[in-house]
Amino acid sequence: AMAWRAAPRAAARLLLGRRGIASCIDPSTGLTEDQKEFQKVALDFAAKEMAPYMAEWDEKEIFPVETMQKAAQLGFGGIYVKPDVGGSGLSRLDTSIIFEALSTGCTSTTAYMSIHNMCVWMIDTFGSEEQRRRFCPSLCSMEKFASYCLTEPGSGSDAASLLTSAQRKGDTYILNGSKAFISGGGDTDVYVVMCRTGGPGPKGISCLVLEKGMPGLSFGKKEKKVGWNSQPTRAVIFEDCVVPVGNRLGAEGQGFSIAMQGLNGGRINIASCSLGAAHASILLAQEHLTVRKQFGEPLANNQYLQFRLAEMATRLVAARLMVRNAARALQEGREDAAVLCSMAKLFATDECFGICNQALQMHGGYGYLKDYAVQQFVRDIRVHQILEGTNEVMRMIVARNLLQG
Amino acid sequence: QAIDDDCNQTGQLLAAMLDWPQGTFASRVQLEAGAVRVEREVDGGLETLRLRLPAVLTADLRLNEPRYATLPNIMKAKKKPLEVIPAAELGVPAGAPRLKVLEVQEPPPRAGGEKVDSVESLLGKLRHAGRI
Repeated sequence: AMAWRAAPRAAARLLLGRRGIASCIDPSTGLTEDQKEFQKVALDFAAKEMAPYMAEWDEKEIFPVETMQKAAQLGFGGIYVKPDVGGSGLSRLDTSIIFEALSTGCTSTTAYMSIHNMCVWMIDTFGSEEQRRRFCPSLCSMEKFASYCLTEPGSGSDAASLLTSAQRKGDTYILNGSKAFISGGGDTDVYVVMCRTGGPGPKGISCLVLEKGMPGLSFGKKEKKVGWNSQPTRAVIFEDCVVPVGNRLGAEGQGFSIAMQGLNGGRINIASCSLGAAHASILLAQEHLTVRKQFGEPLANNQYLQFRLAEMATRLVAARLMVRNAARALQEGREDAAVLCSMAKLFATDECFGICNQALQMHGGYGYLKDYAVQQFVRDIRVHQILEGTNEVMRMIVARNLLQG
Repeated sequence: QAIDDDCNQTGQLLAAMLDWPQGTFASRVQLEAGAVRVEREVDGGLETLRLRLPAVLTADLRLNEPRYATLPNIMKAKKKPLEVIPAAELGVPAGAPRLKVLEVQEPPPRAGGEKVDSVESLLGKLRHAGRI
């Protein structure tokens, strides 16, 4: 039942639909010629360089540095970063299409790559010319990796209440505090850290770029997680950590806004990763239903399962449209972009988890075995409903938009 | 093998016109001093030839792994200038193609086989059909 995942060229073709048969879940419909090309490269890369290793990376908790650097050579290290500092200069929609495609190969690794991309974009957009040139090129090539540090043990959803302090001392800041659940923490080189330089609330927060090796910067133990095992997660600890003022992105007090603007794109990216996992899971379920026989016939002959598969496909397409619509809005800088990103993240991550979970159920007992990929998609995307803003916080954002106008 | 007529002739024609050795369906190519060692995919398996240079080679799909296109290159591809050079400018005599397609036929539908009841009967039938 895993034949298509073992044959990379066939897999990429399967995901794009057989010629002459318009698959209802074909992710290339409605795209421009260029976008179809980007998608093809990403699907090929996912099928050949990621899918064969996804289980091993999960089991052995390997952070696949070389594979990601290969991806960066193709331009995936700074997809929506400006070309003058090594980025690919593509749109949010192009980015969504690419992450959706890569996610079919390994959702956990793609999700990390999206976090890395978000950090590079923040430096590219809010950094000075000097900061952009100092940090972005080596990040776009993934010679160096980045982490986004907002959450703390005491502040998750209530992000603006963060406590990590940055006391100004001459031309440095002295940081004290800690960050929790940092993706890539300890293995990455560049840390985009939101910390308090001023008074309470969002307006007292600034954004500093730290580098591994700075005195006073250390890391907690590697967390043991249900999924996302191809990326390490650690606490990041600041003990009288000295950071030059020249590492501050934007103005003092601008940090929270920078963080939130980063997350708008981050939410589209995470939602896109969920889309890829759900699509891959539907294909796995589709194959299993045609191959597995019970009561004398293939499972696919059962109307209940046919209906469930149809529902899964319908929800996938609905989620994909939400995500791509939000991507376009963000690209155009529309006023409703942030709330659309929240809606898309909420809808897509919830629906896609349901799809992957349903696909696992359709595999019966086999779905519970680690020999079968579907369980890893379920485990990997479960956290998408939690991070980059819980789906509860997404509801807060949408409700505020509806009731405060 | 062109995707229209599948003729598989261009490399071979070129080698004949130049009077150069040819190594077609190459799945492995190793350069040596003044020569090239070519491993070819043939019906019966693999054939290895050593050709004096210069030589004409044609590639089999097993020769190399295609590179991935990079995102910047995909974007540049659309902007690349497409230069149109009339054949006459290259000194190539223009004119009608020298090949004319007379007829295209599907292969005959596969006929049913025959079951025989003994080895002698099988041999007899094969001899009768001129196969042995």
